[in-house]
Amino acid sequence: MADGTPPPDPSGPDAVGPASAVRPFLVTAGRVAAGGDGPSMPVETQVVATAEGLDALDRLAFERHDIVAVCRLPQSIAEIAARLRLHLNVVRVLAEDLRAAGHLTVHVPDSGVVHDASVLRRVIEGLRAVPDSRGVLSDTD
Amino acid sequence: MTPTEPATVPAARSAAVRPPLPVKMVISGGFGVGKTTTVGSISEIEPLTTEAAITEVAAGVDDLTHTPRKTTTTVAMDFGCLTIDPTLKLYLFGTPGQERFGFMWDDIVEGAVGGLVIVDTRRLDDCYAAVDYFEHKGIPFAVAVNAFDGRVEHTLEEVRWALDVTDGVPVLVFDARERGSVRDALLVVLELALARTEG
Repeated sequence: MADGTPPPDPSGPDAVGPASAVRPFLVTAGRVAAGGDGPSMPVETQVVATAEGLDALDRLAFERHDIVAVCRLPQSIAEIAARLRLHLNVVRVLAEDLRAAGHLTVHVPDSGVVHDASVLRRVIEGLRAVPDSRGVLSDTD
Repeated sequence: MTPTEPATVPAARSAAVRPPLPVKMVISGGFGVGKTTTVGSISEIEPLTTEAAITEVAAGVDDLTHTPRKTTTTVAMDFGCLTIDPTLKLYLFGTPGQERFGFMWDDIVEGAVGGLVIVDTRRLDDCYAAVDYFEHKGIPFAVAVNAFDGRVEHTLEEVRWALDVTDGVPVLVFDARERGSVRDALLVVLELALARTEG
């Protein structure tokens, strides 16, 4: 702050300061997901880009662009958040926006999976086939 | 630029990609007990970290109104996954350790088929909150004692007694660094979940 150099006014239109971290919910215009009554979109919810979404990539900006781009292959909400370093709830809000715009499909898992014996059996069989560090299969009785 | 590409690309774009069905398990326990190691031992990807919001409910010890004080905290959460087949994918979420606070993991745990509570026998009390949580939510879980350096300082019966878990809750020893050991611990939880659907 040398004499004659006015301190920058942080509220002024020309304020130039160190780039501050963007508050997570600035990108969602202040909206938050799951307003108190539990999550509407579980962390493992699968998200896939649509052909329309990929066509529109050039017209999407910032986080929206990145989410559609990373969802060329199915991704969970948690994976998107981790790969793009976004807050989980920011991803939830933006994924819902992008779904409404037709850029993504969002596949909220059926909560009945927890009680679906056939699904559990498939997971068990698949897991048993995972070799341990020495390449030995799990004992299948 | 393979010869098949022009034919397959338009087809893939017109047909919606069908994502796998996600099945979720939760790896829980106190701080530094080996949750991320456990996830990393079986995950097909390096464990990823994201920020999750949790609600802490502080016990009203120093609060004359005895009203639970809720605060929302953002914590780092590690997770990994394992593709069972193209239509089925197992996700493993590690819940960050919380001592002294009750905690609400609903944001992460809702819809989980089961949980694994990892225990370090030198710090048994670190896992009480996780045990309470799974019991309260009615989620099938097992208690897995992580054998650091092959040593366990209490017998499994002592652990069971100390944690006051019912006979229906398996208590086992495993090694978080060994893929086969983690696989077998997860299988115990899945078998428990399966038995519940049939019971």
